Amino acid sequence: METDSHSAATGRLLVGFRKWYYNACGFNKFGLLRDDTINEDPDVKEAIRRLPEPVYNDRMFRIKRALDLSMKQQVLPKDQWTKYEEDVHYLEPYLDEVIHERKEKEEWQKK
Amino acid sequence: MCYDRRLYGVQAARKLETVAAVEQLKLHPQDVQVTKLPSGLVIASLENYSPASRIGVLIKAGSRYETADNLGVTHLLRLAASLTTKGASAFKICRGVEAVGGSLSVSSSRETMVYTVDCLRDHIDTVMEYLINVTTAPEFRLWEVSDLTAKVKLDKELSKQTPQIGVIENLHAAAYKNALSNSLYCPDFMMGHISTEQMHTFVQNNFTSARMALVGLGVDHAVLKQVGEQFLNMRSGTGTVGSKAVYRGGELRHQTGADLTHTLLVSEGSSVTAAEATAFSVLQCVLGSGPRVKRGSNSSSRLSQAVSKITAQPFDVSAFNVSYTDSGLFGVYTICHPNAAKDVMSAAVGQVNDVAQGNLTAADLNRAKNQLKADYLMSIESCEGLMEAIGTQALTEGTYHSPEVMSHKIDAVSSADVISAAEKFMSGKKTMSASGQLVNTPFVDEI
Repeated sequence: METDSHSAATGRLLVGFRKWYYNACGFNKFGLLRDDTINEDPDVKEAIRRLPEPVYNDRMFRIKRALDLSMKQQVLPKDQWTKYEEDVHYLEPYLDEVIHERKEKEEWQKK
Repeated sequence: MCYDRRLYGVQAARKLETVAAVEQLKLHPQDVQVTKLPSGLVIASLENYSPASRIGVLIKAGSRYETADNLGVTHLLRLAASLTTKGASAFKICRGVEAVGGSLSVSSSRETMVYTVDCLRDHIDTVMEYLINVTTAPEFRLWEVSDLTAKVKLDKELSKQTPQIGVIENLHAAAYKNALSNSLYCPDFMMGHISTEQMHTFVQNNFTSARMALVGLGVDHAVLKQVGEQFLNMRSGTGTVGSKAVYRGGELRHQTGADLTHTLLVSEGSSVTAAEATAFSVLQCVLGSGPRVKRGSNSSSRLSQAVSKITAQPFDVSAFNVSYTDSGLFGVYTICHPNAAKDVMSAAVGQVNDVAQGNLTAADLNRAKNQLKADYLMSIESCEGLMEAIGTQALTEGTYHSPEVMSHKIDAVSSADVISAAEKFMSGKKTMSASGQLVNTPFVDEI
């Protein structure tokens, strides 16, 4: 019982820290999602290629808007900032799959 | 001296080997075994003790089962055979089959799709796993399937290199109102427009146990049966019912600048299971189904002999005969110089008419039967031919007829049967398909 409340407390603390870190990164002020900011290495490029068209188009819109804002030295009005709770990791399942496939190939090469 | 001794050594060793071999090898020739599971799946196999095995899954899911909104889906499925499945990725299938020196191939006709694997006997388990994955659990990922559009285009361009393919495709489009009129190739307007959902739906509706046959050569029947019971029982039932092919007759002409004119004139022939099917096959041999001796004079072909009298230019003429489960086409195929097209056609049709009039000698009939029997028996000597024979029979009739039965069937054809087949061609409604320079090619109503 005691450990339960203890871990719940640390869990809350962790979430709080994450939230703080998310906002400190600042990309949410440009209206970006976390997955928009991942560095585009070959794996990520392949994952982006596999995105369904609407998801891909939304991503491109957000990135272009962010570039535009950054050029103008502006941020979005505060009510349009991405909230931590609303961030969707839309690229993650595709990226995991790409990495899994790459690992499979590497394993095969080792044999 | 040294040489002598070595020779003794070799002889001794060989004796030992043969003794051991005789003790081990007590193999009895086996017949084709056929089992039909309650789900409708037919399993047929022949243990031929070959070190190489061949296993195939045949499915009644050819282009005739396509509907107006998924035309061309079977062409795409044919190309999608090695894509990622639920059990193995595209990479694993490709490398896995390569690693054991096997091969995985897929082909499709208007009626059936056939997935085949070849491998050495030791690797059956590995390769069979891929075969089961490919036929029962494809994933059709959007990005993998969209890469296939380029391959579809390539396939179509390659097919245009062979005028025969175009002529036969057009023939089916002209001859039937539905089902069998669907092309084996994806039509241009559907290229890139077939969704992965449509592919999944087609597989769901057509790849059902009752429409499948699992055929093996060089495998134990019990092993194959177990595989069939365990893995190919996923979708039961007969799936969507295809419509019955309706023959209409007609004409399609394709003008090109080619030096040779291809013409194919047919009437409705017989279905595979009809009693007259064998008579049509015999008639095909009577008329001539292709050269028997390379660069020979083709003297046994009545069509060739008749056409050679009227043109000095190069030509090719043969009898054309295809059978499907509910219909068939029989006629003559001519290739000749554009100027001679009219005469060549009338000479070829004249020969069929000649047979229809009763002009058929016993010697001709006998020769045709011998050719047909030899063709059949020689075709089942090869692994591919035997597989096809067992597979199509298992799929359409659920049984296998031994070569003896087949040759009895051919022997039973009388000259009256052949004559009535020829009459059926002469009196039937004609379909014609032509390609090349068509200035001098008659229209179907002018013949």
